[in-house]
Amino acid sequence: MSTVTPKSLASSGQKPIQEICHPLGAEEAASAGVLTPSPDVGNTTSSIGEKDLSLPNGTPVETSSPASSSSLLNRLQLDDDLDGETRDLFVTVDDPRKHVSTMETYITYRVATKTTRVEFDLPEYSVRRRYQDFDWLRSRLEDSQPTHLIPPLPEKFVMKGVVDRFSEEFVETRRKALDKFLKRVADHPVLSFNEHLNAFLSAKDLNKRQGLALLTKMGESVKYVTGGYKLRARPMEFAAMGDYLDMFTQKLGTIDRIAQRIIKEQSEYLVELREYAPVYTTWAASEAALQEPLEGVAGCLASCSGALDELTEDMSEDFLPVLREYVLYVESMKSVLKKRDNVQAEYEAKLEAVAFRKEERTTAAAVPTDVEKCQDRVECFNADLKADWDRWQNNKRQDFRQLLTGMADHNIHYYEKCLAAWESVMPLLQDPQSPEARSDSEKD
Amino acid sequence: MMADSAPEEIAVIGNIDITSAELKNNIRNTMVEIDKGLLRKMEISVAEAEKRTGKNAVNMQETYTVYLIETRPVDTITEGVTPAPDSLWRRYSEFELLRNYLLVTYPFVVVAPLPEKRAEIVWHKLSADNMDPDFVERRRVGLENFLLRVACHPVLCNDKIFYMFLTEEKGWKEMVYDTGFQAKADSRLKAMNAAFRVKNPDKRFTELKHYSDELQTVLSQLLRVRARVADRLYGVYKVHGNYGRVFSEWSAIEKEMGDGLQSAGHHVDVYAASVDDILEEEEHYADQLKEYLFYTDALRAVCRKHELTQFELETAAQDLASKKQQKEELVTGTVRTFSLKGMTSKLFGQETAEQREAKLQALEQQIEEGEEAVKEKNKESDDFVKTAWEDIECFKEQKDRDLKEALISYAIMQISMCKKGIQVWTNAKECFNKM
Repeated sequence: MSTVTPKSLASSGQKPIQEICHPLGAEEAASAGVLTPSPDVGNTTSSIGEKDLSLPNGTPVETSSPASSSSLLNRLQLDDDLDGETRDLFVTVDDPRKHVSTMETYITYRVATKTTRVEFDLPEYSVRRRYQDFDWLRSRLEDSQPTHLIPPLPEKFVMKGVVDRFSEEFVETRRKALDKFLKRVADHPVLSFNEHLNAFLSAKDLNKRQGLALLTKMGESVKYVTGGYKLRARPMEFAAMGDYLDMFTQKLGTIDRIAQRIIKEQSEYLVELREYAPVYTTWAASEAALQEPLEGVAGCLASCSGALDELTEDMSEDFLPVLREYVLYVESMKSVLKKRDNVQAEYEAKLEAVAFRKEERTTAAAVPTDVEKCQDRVECFNADLKADWDRWQNNKRQDFRQLLTGMADHNIHYYEKCLAAWESVMPLLQDPQSPEARSDSEKD
Repeated sequence: MMADSAPEEIAVIGNIDITSAELKNNIRNTMVEIDKGLLRKMEISVAEAEKRTGKNAVNMQETYTVYLIETRPVDTITEGVTPAPDSLWRRYSEFELLRNYLLVTYPFVVVAPLPEKRAEIVWHKLSADNMDPDFVERRRVGLENFLLRVACHPVLCNDKIFYMFLTEEKGWKEMVYDTGFQAKADSRLKAMNAAFRVKNPDKRFTELKHYSDELQTVLSQLLRVRARVADRLYGVYKVHGNYGRVFSEWSAIEKEMGDGLQSAGHHVDVYAASVDDILEEEEHYADQLKEYLFYTDALRAVCRKHELTQFELETAAQDLASKKQQKEELVTGTVRTFSLKGMTSKLFGQETAEQREAKLQALEQQIEEGEEAVKEKNKESDDFVKTAWEDIECFKEQKDRDLKEALISYAIMQISMCKKGIQVWTNAKECFNKM
């Protein structure tokens, strides 16, 4: 079995659980860049009962060990709006591995859970799941929680010839998206208690459970999408949501196009830079006094090329996938809004039918419970949707804040690297014969 | 009427070590030493450029640019009052005439080159149009640089024609032609293009020719690639400008995120706009490289002249040797070399004694003349080698100095560009953080 390790994984040595910073702690937030390796399941069982990490109210908190700094940062973002709330469910998706069988080749990911919830039999779990398992979970959630916004999954299908499904970049991008998906579900006050999530996180063998789940949950599955009823008056706030989503999608599309164009221009710039630097080296060969300065410039330009290469790569890996994921998120939200519309339409239709029939009867009959049920459904849906919308807006704000500051950071680091290269070559240019200049340039 | 050459200040964003004005001054000052030659006595500048229309030699209407040359005696300035300078207008073709005159008259001097006649190695934003104001401006700077170079050259600065170029508007052309330089120019051109083989050239000149070929190749390539790099850099910066617009539109539909987005967008716009100044400054660097690219022609010309004088020397020496040999053969009666005369005399009988005597006398005369010629050519060659090599050593020092300064200015530009980039993105990041 070949192992595909995520690129961002770096080992700072095995650390015991108690030394891993808790994300909610104020000082610990500053050291968010700390990378910790993912410990074995065996290691962590011994840490249960450690009192080093605890919330102000005294309850011990289990930490999930992030496998990479970016997932730690992710968790910091999501924790933001749960300030003061106790978190008792932590999930991580990491450690992608390739599985080769006679029938197919696929990737599985480790799904690690730490929780104090009574709904779970054990405080910790570590299972392996593949993409289709995540897909199963999502459709279960959609069916069983139709009034809620379910976070999106990364794209299911990839063109086999175009994208290498087993390349490091692709797998890492997918892993990050799956991790985000699961964290969003785990952070949701309603979705996180869903029994399908429980099964997903804890069951050794998901396949059997998949079948069972289908049988037992048939009754609850209501077809919200195909209503066949026409909506009279969409309440203002939901109409506004729809409008916002349309405009937002447009902006996302534009930003995606701009980002891609920038990467393209930067790549072409890089190609020229790579041809530029060696010419200075060629020139240096026919010079005497100018030889060192020219070689210094050549080296400097080569450093700048390297920095630019990193910038382009970082933007491709970090920026574009998140944008695309938000497009999917918007699609999910739009479909929930549509479902809500259908529920309201059904209610309105039924109400009208009852009112019509009422006129025909002589005796005043009570409003049938069927209509009451519909009214309840509408009100529940509206409430759930509003709560989810607010949550979504908040997450969106944090996600984009992180995304855009990340973009700014990448650019800042690029310029800092180039600046360092040029500043280090300056003494060499000004006096190539001086010993300080030589030792300065050698230092780098 | 072209604006005066006062450079504009670039927008100061954060801490920038050097403004474009200072940079331009630094470039000018480090290239030509003001305390040398003619510059000790007078200030020279090409102050302005103007478009003119007129009838040319074939009576057709044409548009051309003229440049205002201003001169001012140095001692009048130190008195605290700056008198108005003397000035006259010159066309590019007159500069060319001056340079050709200097090349012909001082073949042992590496004569400074003129700026490009036509804009050739440019990146896309700069037009290749000779009438384009940016091109004209850079040419003005180049022409001034040329005059300053000539003015501080130890030999050229004393030339009368050069002085007249700066001071006599009318009749200067006739003065140049009166020197009879045209004939010399024609024969020089012929010699340059002739093919001949030199047996013993001075090794230093051979190396120098080789070096100037290499330098020409590498500088041409460098300038071409740099222009392409500039093109691409322009593209990268400008596309970022699109973010400003979309952030602005997006901020309109957001509540809390709006302000942060809007102000960040403004900074990204500033970033996109900054590339214009960056690339304009880089053009100065390109111009400095171009000057030395064009200098290689002058270097090659001097090497060629050496080959020519050496060839003439060798030819004269060869002629002398063969005459001496002929004399020897005549005297001893032996024929060592084949000659038609020798054969015919063998076949048709020996010459008379008088004939031989006459021939001998003629040969001796020729030998005497030949020896004089060789002496002359030898001296010519030695003098040339001596004076030319002196000038070449000066040139080498100047080249090393100037190009080192050019690299330093280039590095300073890059450092400034990086600092601006850091500043602008840090500002944007602050705004994003407020989202």
